[in-house]
Amino acid sequence: MAEVTVRDVYKAYGAVRVLRGVSIDMHDGEFVVLVGPSGCGKSTLLRMIAGLEEINSGDILIGDRVVNDVAPKDRDIAMVFQSYALYPHMTVASNMGFSLEIRRKATDLITAAVGRAAGTLGLGDLLARFPRELSGGQRQRVAMGRAIVRQPQVFLFDEPLSNLDAKLRVQMRTEIKALHQDMGTTAIYVTHDQVEAMTMADRIVVMNEGVIQQIGHPLEVYDRPANQFVASFIGSPGMNFLEGTARQTADTSWVEMVDGTKLPAPRTDAEEGQTVIYGVRPEALTIDEEARSGLIARVDVTEPTGLSTLVFSRVADSITCAFTMDRLDLTRGQPIGLVPDVARVHLFDQASGVRL
Amino acid sequence: MAGSTITSYGPAASEVFPEPRRRAWRALIEPYLYLSPALILIGLVMFVPLLLGLSFAYRNIHLLNPFSGGFVGLDHFSAIMGDKRFWRALINTGWWTGASLVLQFSLGLGLAMLLNRPFRGKRFVQAIIFLPWAVPIFLSGLTWAWLFNPVIGPLPHWLAALGVMSEPYNILSNPSVAMWGPIIANVWFGIPFFAITMLAALQSVPYELHEAAAIDGASAWQRFVKVTLPFIAPVIAITVLLRTIWISNFADLIIVMTGGGPADSTQIVASYIFTTAYRRLDFGYASAISTALLVLLMLYSLIVLQLRRRLAGKV
Repeated sequence: MAEVTVRDVYKAYGAVRVLRGVSIDMHDGEFVVLVGPSGCGKSTLLRMIAGLEEINSGDILIGDRVVNDVAPKDRDIAMVFQSYALYPHMTVASNMGFSLEIRRKATDLITAAVGRAAGTLGLGDLLARFPRELSGGQRQRVAMGRAIVRQPQVFLFDEPLSNLDAKLRVQMRTEIKALHQDMGTTAIYVTHDQVEAMTMADRIVVMNEGVIQQIGHPLEVYDRPANQFVASFIGSPGMNFLEGTARQTADTSWVEMVDGTKLPAPRTDAEEGQTVIYGVRPEALTIDEEARSGLIARVDVTEPTGLSTLVFSRVADSITCAFTMDRLDLTRGQPIGLVPDVARVHLFDQASGVRL
Repeated sequence: MAGSTITSYGPAASEVFPEPRRRAWRALIEPYLYLSPALILIGLVMFVPLLLGLSFAYRNIHLLNPFSGGFVGLDHFSAIMGDKRFWRALINTGWWTGASLVLQFSLGLGLAMLLNRPFRGKRFVQAIIFLPWAVPIFLSGLTWAWLFNPVIGPLPHWLAALGVMSEPYNILSNPSVAMWGPIIANVWFGIPFFAITMLAALQSVPYELHEAAAIDGASAWQRFVKVTLPFIAPVIAITVLLRTIWISNFADLIIVMTGGGPADSTQIVASYIFTTAYRRLDFGYASAISTALLVLLMLYSLIVLQLRRRLAGKV
């Protein structure tokens, strides 16, 4: 087990800059999720920690050892690939024992280690099979088993669940988290799925265009997004953004929309008259069916899921989403009032997107 | 009128519902009727000449002897059993095939591995690799024969300068080493085949397998032996099988470079067939040797296919 430190790392492919000064301190035993849209550099960062990509500048440390020029095999890490990368000509047992075989461990020791890992993952009956004889979920488990057998200092996961169907993904997500809690090994997990990030991480690292946007505990990132990008990326359905002008008096502050509606806003550093983005999550909006208060909108679509209802309504040109546990009977075009919960309203600078 | 007599226009009930046996017979024969044009064509161009050629083996056919053509039964085959030239040619075939194959394969695979990494001008080099195939075999054979000839070719002089030869002589005229002449020419000719097929096979190995193996602790050599080779093994098996049959049948270079000589030292079965048929004009005996070669190669194919099946069961 070890901490992993990334210090001011840069990476460019020719003129394309993939990582621009990334620094993260990952604690021993922590489950860190790197999340961001495609091309944000998260996979590149993971592969640099694995030693599969060169570092242009900066340092990567595993434990207190700088590993910039250390070969992957000497970094004492294990990686689970998106495609699983199982050796097709080897049985499940040989796949899992490969790293120990390479290190010339005794056969009975390998058998014991593989057996233990297979027991943990419920692969006991499949040890003699070949990867092509397994289902997607089983392959994924074998890939994990191959990583576990090593007992490495750090686990690296590169979008390991994205090839599974939705149901299996939810199941494996829980299993990986449970496994991590049992083993307590530092884990770095890359995904573009913010739900995976939220549910699995001890800490989330949100990245965009090669720059870290925010590092924090999942709920902290959710409740206090550092900027408009994080606010929009984390959370599903996404946060609603409305443009307006910040107004304040001595004891109250609000945001004035283009149509003149005044929405209550938290006390921030926003200057009087500054153009701001008013951000509010769907669940922080209460629906007033009589349209007597709040932001007046016209119902566009309602999406009942059984558990809850999503109400998409039109304010001026933009669509606003509200989340409610009530079963509302709304018709298209009906005016409703959207009443924001001030405590859960975020203001962002319109130009920079930074939280105010 | 409409509808009143319509029943009489339909097909007879016996045609719509033929007796079960007749229907089964029809179902059985129908696919073959559709296939028949192709079957007849294949039969005409493949099996008729093959059977005709094989039938020569049981007849005494000398082109220059107008009285030949009689049925001789298995005489030719018993003659083969006692034909020292045939057995010598068979051993030479083993040599020729084995040495050519091993060298073509290992050099071809090596070249493929060199080509399987990015470098400047890769496309150009890949195109150049095919060059030996663009040269007519007859011309290649002549050129190589000249290269080995100390009067006009540089090779004997280089070999002598390196100390491999005591003096620059033509290896094609030395019975103990003459076989290496055509083998070297054949290796030159055959490398592209393996380079291209192996390159395609290497490119089919997922990049992540190498990365996974690297993280698992495998060195470059271990990755090659434990990941790459097993992955491309089925392709290796099938190309080696095909190539073995081609090489053992490939007499062109030998005919052009040495004509099987000196003293039959480079005579392989295929060139012996050619010599017997077109130099001695003994078509009957040549056909009998061909039959023997055909049987041997079929045996070989069966064995390799069996091996391949067992191998495929593993992968």
